[in-house]
Amino acid sequence: MKLLQIENLSTTLSSAGSEVPAVKGIDLDIHQGETLCLVGESGSGKSVTALSIMRLLPEAIVSHPTGRVLLRAGGDNNPTTDLLALDDATMASLRGSHMAMIFQEPMSSLNPVFTVGEQIVEAIEFTNPGIAFTEAEAIAIEALRDVKLKDPEARFREYPHKLSGGQRQRIMIAIALACQPQLLIADEPTTALDVSVQAGILELMAELQQKTGMAILFITHDLGVVAQIADRVAVMQHGKIVEQGPCASLLNQPQHAYTQQLLAAVPENLARRDSAPVVDDTLMTVENLSVHFPVRRGLLKRVVSTIKAVDDVSLSIRQGEILALVGESGSGKSTLGKALVRLLKPTQGRILYRDNDIGSLDSTAMRALRTDLQIVFQDPLSSLNPRLTIASALTEPMAAHKIGASHSEREAMAARLLQDVHLPADYLWRYPHEMSGGQRQRVGIARALAVNPRLIVCDEVTSALDVSVQAELLALLLELRERLGLTLLFITHNISVVEYISDRTAVMYNGRVVEMGDTAEVCGNPQMEYTQNLLASVPRLSTVQGN
Amino acid sequence: MGNEDTETTVLSATVPMQRHSRSQSLSARVFKDTFIRRGAQIGAGWLVLLSLVAIFAPLLANSRPLLRSVAGQIESPALRYMTAVDITLLLTFFIGIGLLIVGVSYQRIVAGVCATVVLLYLVLSQLVSPPKLSIYEEYRQPSETSQSVDWEVYAPVPYSPKDYLRDYGDTGLQAPGVFGERMHLLGTEENGADLLSRMIHAARLALGIGLVATGIAMVLGIFIGGFMGYFSGVVDMLGMRLVEIFEAVPTLFLLLTFVAFFDRSLYLMMVIIGLTSWPGYARYVRAEFLRLRNQDFVQAAVAAGLPLRSILFRHILPNAVAPVLVAASFGVASAILAEATLSFLGLGLIDDPSWGQMLNQAVRSSTFNWWMALFPGGAIFLTVFSYNLIGEALRDALDPLTQRAESV
Repeated sequence: MKLLQIENLSTTLSSAGSEVPAVKGIDLDIHQGETLCLVGESGSGKSVTALSIMRLLPEAIVSHPTGRVLLRAGGDNNPTTDLLALDDATMASLRGSHMAMIFQEPMSSLNPVFTVGEQIVEAIEFTNPGIAFTEAEAIAIEALRDVKLKDPEARFREYPHKLSGGQRQRIMIAIALACQPQLLIADEPTTALDVSVQAGILELMAELQQKTGMAILFITHDLGVVAQIADRVAVMQHGKIVEQGPCASLLNQPQHAYTQQLLAAVPENLARRDSAPVVDDTLMTVENLSVHFPVRRGLLKRVVSTIKAVDDVSLSIRQGEILALVGESGSGKSTLGKALVRLLKPTQGRILYRDNDIGSLDSTAMRALRTDLQIVFQDPLSSLNPRLTIASALTEPMAAHKIGASHSEREAMAARLLQDVHLPADYLWRYPHEMSGGQRQRVGIARALAVNPRLIVCDEVTSALDVSVQAELLALLLELRERLGLTLLFITHNISVVEYISDRTAVMYNGRVVEMGDTAEVCGNPQMEYTQNLLASVPRLSTVQGN
Repeated sequence: MGNEDTETTVLSATVPMQRHSRSQSLSARVFKDTFIRRGAQIGAGWLVLLSLVAIFAPLLANSRPLLRSVAGQIESPALRYMTAVDITLLLTFFIGIGLLIVGVSYQRIVAGVCATVVLLYLVLSQLVSPPKLSIYEEYRQPSETSQSVDWEVYAPVPYSPKDYLRDYGDTGLQAPGVFGERMHLLGTEENGADLLSRMIHAARLALGIGLVATGIAMVLGIFIGGFMGYFSGVVDMLGMRLVEIFEAVPTLFLLLTFVAFFDRSLYLMMVIIGLTSWPGYARYVRAEFLRLRNQDFVQAAVAAGLPLRSILFRHILPNAVAPVLVAASFGVASAILAEATLSFLGLGLIDDPSWGQMLNQAVRSSTFNWWMALFPGGAIFLTVFSYNLIGEALRDALDPLTQRAESV
């Protein structure tokens, strides 16, 4: 039975006099009990589609030039209603009771001043007016039990800040499902979560679907997740659905060029390169390194406890290799990366580089070594000064280290750097806001290269980017490594990227390195239990459900 | 975007090092975003008008003729009686216009104008010495005193602010709209001086006290707040205590005390208002520095080994001034109000006209003189309102949330 029929839907967003067609005439059916995955890169219009169905876009800026969204509320024989034509009150009564939605960011989706229980009960009371509180409470606790939260009675009385991201997303699902909707729209519900938590949520959603028979519209950019959960897949590009079909056939025999391109850019499918010859020459040695952050409380700022972000880590980085540092959020991998370039001062231990212990140098002595050790950050938006042109961003470090004789010579060098990262030279005169995320990340790399470094710490450089942009950036890093003889410490949470790019891998957990070795060995034959679990929860394209 | 990209690439092949013409710096964008708003336009319009009036005050309202011919000799009494301040303002204005026409970048114009104000004033206060005593009767219409005057050109408002016209009748008080021998558009105050003329000259005081007092407060606030935010720890703790001490000082009572012990000086007032209002700016700047210190681009600047000077003033400060500017536009308004309050209480400058003092005169005389309350009061209201409108628009332009809402 077709639960939801989208016919020729287009959505136009207007801002400051200009109209942006975000969705351009899409047709999509969602059947009862199925999981439909809507895939696309950022800006393809997949979230706008979901928000259009729920009518959650601000009415002042949104218009639908064409199309209908037909929902068959109730049973088989009930007539369909066009959601776009409904008045606000009727629409509000359908939200929650027939359709529910969960969002990407679990940390900000719950109201911090109400307990979890109050928020679930509110949703139940809204759809069942007149229900007694004790009855609603019983339903709410049952819902918390359904989403597999331990000790649901205690959770009911807890405030959101006590819960982790995964637990909050479970509660969002509990709220969404408390009123037993026929359709659940999930907009990137696991993107902000670690892989092991993601695996749990995906499993839970599949189980709840089995039990209730609801339909799920699952929006994601991760083709690995698609392979794991989808019955059918629709691929969106520039506001249009370019291809849709059953999951297995679409992923195995993509027809449309864009789908093929998207699949080819997934790190799992990138052509494996020959591993570069690594000279067994140690560039940097880390001995028993710890970085602790004191937690201070009270008037006198007494140290009440310490957070051991990095705890007794020893490793060595070889000249010319790419060492991947993987771990889940909070494992201390970024802290370690920052300590290696001395953006943080280590609490204990030594970082040996060229006969110097970087950890103990003062800032003047460190300045001379800064040219050798550089860092590229995760967020391309915040890693460039919004007030400086690319030219000044690139030439300033050169001037500080007296590279290049004159200003014009440095500008010429900066132009060459841009060409090195495959950007046209006239981008020198642009400001960061005039560039896309991928372009900014290239500038970030160019800035690191400006002082001719030997080691670059790449801190999650591709996690904010779309897969196709990520593939280009990874290829660029490999090319630069080859040409300039760079050594990279590649920090990431994405296992498939690790498998593609790195020579050796170190796995971090709770501030410690739990396993380290050649990438093929660590990923192919993990020894530690933690690594085994981590690898098992990575959603992979090769796990397409046969149907 | 795609088309534009290829276009610029083609361009770059021919002129590789030419500046990107579409590039617009963040401050230029914020400026544009602020002044496309109707409120900011109205506010800025009033302030520009007020500034022009303040700069050209001696040429707009003056009892002395601008030009006259005495026995075939052309002379300008108005020019002869100009003070160093008058000439500094006029010359600076024309230098500023000149720089604007030549097409210098706006940062240089601001710097140039500030430099000329200080330099010219220092030089001119030595060179220019207008006659100490001015006898307005000399130039009264019709000129009875000097018979040999061939022709005269008067200012649009032919009365000086301190020309009390005591020689005419017993009381000088005259309501607006009385058309007789002498016409006072907005009436006169109790000593017979023309109200419009006094208001024109008082515009200088209002604008000057707002800008200078806020300038002092901003510079102090940015430095102290910046150091607190960047170095944090002990510096931050000591700085915050200092902020709390200064926040506890009641500005108005301090002003009253100083006025009681020292001379009534405009500069003293500016300095005291400035010295007591920096803590607000320091708090803003501190918060911004604390936030920006951990931003990736600042970390990248540290990792690149840039000197501290560059990190503080090139990477952090320009990104931190935005909220300070918003606060400053409200601060200017409150400085103007502080001066008006003081003058209203009768503790302002003695002889120089000020809007607050005029309000005071409105209620002090035996009858309520509505024109003495309405016009200066209206001017204070419009000026404070203008600064608030601009502050409001600036805040909207800088607010990332409203920007995001517009560019969904």
